[in-house]
Amino acid sequence: MGVMLRYLTSKLKYLKLVNQYYATNQKNQAPSQDEKTPTSLTQNLTTNLEILNGFIGNNFDLVIRKFTFGEHRQTNAALVYLNGMTDQTMINESILKPLLFESVPNSNPASNHSVIEMITMTMLSVAEIKKRTLIQDIVEGYLSGETILLVDGSPEALVIMTSDWKSRSITDPKTESVVRGPREGFIENLLTNTTLIRRKIKSSDLVFESMKIGERTKTTVCIAYIKDIANPLLIEEIKRRLKDIKTDSILESGIVEQYIEDAPFSIFSTIANTEKPDLAAAKILEGRAAILVDGTPFVLTVPMVFIESFQSSEDYYSRPYFASIIRMFRYLAYMLSILAPATYVALTTYHQELIPTALLFSMSAAQEGVPFPVLVEALGMGVIFEILREAGVRLPRPVGQAVSIVGALVIGESAVSAGLIGAPMVIVVALTAIASFVVPAQTDSGGILRAIFTVLAGFSGGFGIMVGLIGVSIHLASLRSFGTPYLSPLAPLSVPDLKDTFIRAPLWAMITRPRTIGWHDPKRQEFRLKPGPPSEEDASSN
Amino acid sequence: MKHLNKLVTTLLIFILLTLGTTGCWNRRELPSLAIVLGVGLDKMEDSDQLEMTTQIIKTSELKASTPEESGAGGSGGAGAYWNVRNSGETVFSTTRDFTHKVSRKLYFPHNQLIIFGSSLAEQGVQEHLDFFLRDQETRLEVFVLVADDRASDIFDVKPRLEKVPSMKIAELMDAQAANSTTSIVRLNQFATRLMSDTTAPIAPIIEVLGKGNERELSVKGTAVFKEDKLIGQLNKVETRGLLWVIDRIKSGIIDVNCRDTIVSLEIIRAQGKISSEIIDGQPYIKIEIKEDGNIASQCCPIDLVSPNAVAELEELQAEAIKAEIQAALRKAQKLNADIFGFGDIIHQRHPKEWQELKDDWDEIFPDLDVEIIVEAKLRRSGSLGQPVVLDKEQ
Repeated sequence: MGVMLRYLTSKLKYLKLVNQYYATNQKNQAPSQDEKTPTSLTQNLTTNLEILNGFIGNNFDLVIRKFTFGEHRQTNAALVYLNGMTDQTMINESILKPLLFESVPNSNPASNHSVIEMITMTMLSVAEIKKRTLIQDIVEGYLSGETILLVDGSPEALVIMTSDWKSRSITDPKTESVVRGPREGFIENLLTNTTLIRRKIKSSDLVFESMKIGERTKTTVCIAYIKDIANPLLIEEIKRRLKDIKTDSILESGIVEQYIEDAPFSIFSTIANTEKPDLAAAKILEGRAAILVDGTPFVLTVPMVFIESFQSSEDYYSRPYFASIIRMFRYLAYMLSILAPATYVALTTYHQELIPTALLFSMSAAQEGVPFPVLVEALGMGVIFEILREAGVRLPRPVGQAVSIVGALVIGESAVSAGLIGAPMVIVVALTAIASFVVPAQTDSGGILRAIFTVLAGFSGGFGIMVGLIGVSIHLASLRSFGTPYLSPLAPLSVPDLKDTFIRAPLWAMITRPRTIGWHDPKRQEFRLKPGPPSEEDASSN
Repeated sequence: MKHLNKLVTTLLIFILLTLGTTGCWNRRELPSLAIVLGVGLDKMEDSDQLEMTTQIIKTSELKASTPEESGAGGSGGAGAYWNVRNSGETVFSTTRDFTHKVSRKLYFPHNQLIIFGSSLAEQGVQEHLDFFLRDQETRLEVFVLVADDRASDIFDVKPRLEKVPSMKIAELMDAQAANSTTSIVRLNQFATRLMSDTTAPIAPIIEVLGKGNERELSVKGTAVFKEDKLIGQLNKVETRGLLWVIDRIKSGIIDVNCRDTIVSLEIIRAQGKISSEIIDGQPYIKIEIKEDGNIASQCCPIDLVSPNAVAELEELQAEAIKAEIQAALRKAQKLNADIFGFGDIIHQRHPKEWQELKDDWDEIFPDLDVEIIVEAKLRRSGSLGQPVVLDKEQ
């Protein structure tokens, strides 16, 4: 025992040293990395192209189109753009055509207007044009699909907004399908995603603040919130955490999530994600902030509370009774998914007296001749289920079907009839599997908890499960997501917020926003919204 | 880093403590249990030793669920159960001795019955009950029964509907509520009566009818104990008389004679109340019964729509109930066993006077004055008012 502990602490000390080493080294290296001092353009086109080539040369998708324009074809110019990220028609029709075939309005050399200015003002029919002098700025524009127009004799370049690339069209969200509700889902294009949210909330108070993260990927990350609902401290904190990310690549919002989450060691996620614009809009309207990352349809929303996992956008679109019942079933399913195998193990190995006699008969009969202890059975079936699930997710669809057939037939049928596994165990695992998909946001943590609880139940029965539950409760209560207690509104208890916790109160009764999230501007709607036929007073006054 | 270090250490200690301290010492897999469903206690025929019969479920046989398969072995232990017999001095040592015969550990929490053989019951049951009250594996809600003859014979009678005799008897007990002519006694009730100074314990009697493959189990009447020894029994009528008084009537049929035909009246609700009074040092007991009934079937050629006819039937019903109670009372006084708990009632209501009475209770009880007041009502006549065949004269 002592040896093992000593080994572990020595390992930890080693890790600590490594971290310190890198921390000090980074400080030394930091300035050297930023040595690329800003370079300005010159007046000479050829020199400019050479400088530019130094940055972006040697690429097969680089296009440099040289041409002359003006009344006497006296001015040399060049267009530089990335093939594939730009709109070719736009370059042809709106940039090249006017430059080649229309004469430059008589530019008075005495006037303040340079050639560049004249072109911008009178010739190019493109909405967004920026003037840039620094090479770095130009390269950045070029890499995002903008077209660079360099004109001989001008130390400025025009960065023309022509970016356009192929993206997926808006389709059903794959991970969150609904029976009732909007069918559109976010896509990989950030601009489309912001548009989807903007279309839901046509308010001037909706703010999209963007920043670029990732030394090499330069991924645009966008924070969306409503100015007068979201807590300014929350927005400040999100911005601070995002700015602190110093990494070379941000490829998906999950990467951002792992850099800014509150409890990196917890199995529970403290940041929610969604693929549905209506859900993102609803959360923004409650006072949360959404973090959109370019290149992924998954939008993060913060702060997240535990009960959010049990809420679905559909709850608010269907009538309150059914929505409330379904929501309670979700809580039940979650408890089942983490506790069913553990309870089965505890009952059959420690608390047989708790099983009704008739049920004990059939369970005992099914267990007769099974060579493994129930705990081994439960863990084994759990592993098999996880493997099957993973295989089903990864495999191409036609093969996936084969996996499910093999899984259902071989594991379900044959194992039982061969006497390797008791039939009740298969039922319990199947029930657990189905139940675990009811609460998608907690499927990953649920799987881990299930294994832990099963082992605890195998070693100390119901007592073990109780210890585990208390431990998980303590842990959940200690978590925070961007300052909001993870278990709110249950702990700390906020009675008005219970309207949207275990039940979903009628919409007209949900007057205030969640206390722990949107209290900056608590009033959501007018007080008297309960619908009904006109009262007699109304009728007489009419 | 410091945080992680602390976390890992705490986690390690936590896991080691929970797993190490408990260490699955009392883990039992289902196939390692011999689930006991019934216990029979007898006196050995040739010696004074205790003979214990335990009915163990054969879980492997339960899988072959058709009765033909499980019943193919004929009489005795064949089927989904196994009756194991063992003898010894005390219940506990005999129980432990079963390990010589049964490969699995006897598991008592699902035990349904304790059946005393009549010869053992006559000698006294107290010493044998202690194990079932003291051990933490046994339950207090098991049924206590007395066999007409030997308890071990009861377990050998193959049930027709259920797979295991013990389950059949347990379900039979539950079914008795429809008639209320059998007392249903659980271990805690039996023990409570045993603990009382005066109240006599009771238990239903179970007997084997028929011979060979035609054997059937049947419950009849009530066994009456004095202290812990069996001294006599009540028949069905007397049993219901007892149940009226101790307020344990659930349902049942009362047949009354009406102009040479029989009218069956169904008991819907019944309430029994005992009160006591002491006049000049002499205790008096008053029994009040309130009963609601329905007309279940009648051939009596009277029109029940008329209030007079109903009043007549109500009176007949009250008399029938009174007769049942009187029969029970006579038998109890003859046996000098206070099965009604009159002594406890007087103890509760007149604690001072009881101090003088309690020592002489055995002399007082046989001649105790008991007043019986029955208030019987008929509430409904079913779907019919008049019987289908009315009196020809009318």
